[in-house]
Amino acid sequence: MPGRAAAERIRKAIALVNSVADGAGDEDITPTEIAESIRDCLELREIDDIANVRRYLGEALDAVSDGMPADFVAMTLYAALGSLREGSPAG
Amino acid sequence: MSSAEGRGRTVDEAVDAALIELKESRRNVDIKVISETQEEAVVEVTVIDHAAAAASGSGAVPANGKAEVARGLVEGLLKHMGVRAQVTVRPSSEPITLDISGRDLGALIGWRGETLRALQSVTNVMVGRHLAEGERIIVDVERYRQRREHTVREIAMRAARQVKMTGDAITLDAMQPFERRAIHLALEGDPDVTSGSVGEEPERRVVVGPRKPAAE
Repeated sequence: MPGRAAAERIRKAIALVNSVADGAGDEDITPTEIAESIRDCLELREIDDIANVRRYLGEALDAVSDGMPADFVAMTLYAALGSLREGSPAG
Repeated sequence: MSSAEGRGRTVDEAVDAALIELKESRRNVDIKVISETQEEAVVEVTVIDHAAAAASGSGAVPANGKAEVARGLVEGLLKHMGVRAQVTVRPSSEPITLDISGRDLGALIGWRGETLRALQSVTNVMVGRHLAEGERIIVDVERYRQRREHTVREIAMRAARQVKMTGDAITLDAMQPFERRAIHLALEGDPDVTSGSVGEEPERRVVVGPRKPAAE
């Protein structure tokens, strides 16, 4: 299925962010780890086949760098996941 | 508002006992776990006064400004999404909890609650400037989140019983952060077992194991 690997990586990034937001209390997650998981998503070439995914991931990475709230980062990642699901080919 | 205390071997059984007494269904009540031990669970089940909730939700009695702002925003968002649903503020809930109810809202919950979680993130971003630091809004659809928390607590208690019998640690299925948190909270008072998490998101799992006696 196209975009499956990307969806898995985005879900991983979302889960990390949600761990911070929900205060799961069973691990310390640093912004660096979240940024790394988003960069893992950006490394996949398949995201270029689908409109807006790279853009949203870039915005999420910027949000982490800027210290934006976890919910804002999560929302942007959900937007990337949503675009991936819609799967509209770029261009 | 009528309420009843329920007792049973598990939280579910205790809730059922109270529901029978109240002659109500699960979707119309608020459940508070009073105590939960290996032998017995005690819950307080309160019937939700929909009329009062709707009145506070409609802005007639803005008991809580932040909750009202959040309720209005979520209602507007759902309208834009073309979802017909009622949004109410869960009475006396801390943190502020919005309940969304209506027909055929499965799509709003999504796969493993993913859409619901996304909706909650959007809600918190929208309401963010009205909230104090660290304060959050919880969004629940048809009490899905509450039911999941009860379910995972049941799983935790079962796992704890098994660990005590066998002395072996048990690794549970991968769960979401709020579910893992519910398990840690359910077991933190148990002197015989301990809980921790292993693995990486989204495959992170809770391990329930025997508590090692403190070295003398």
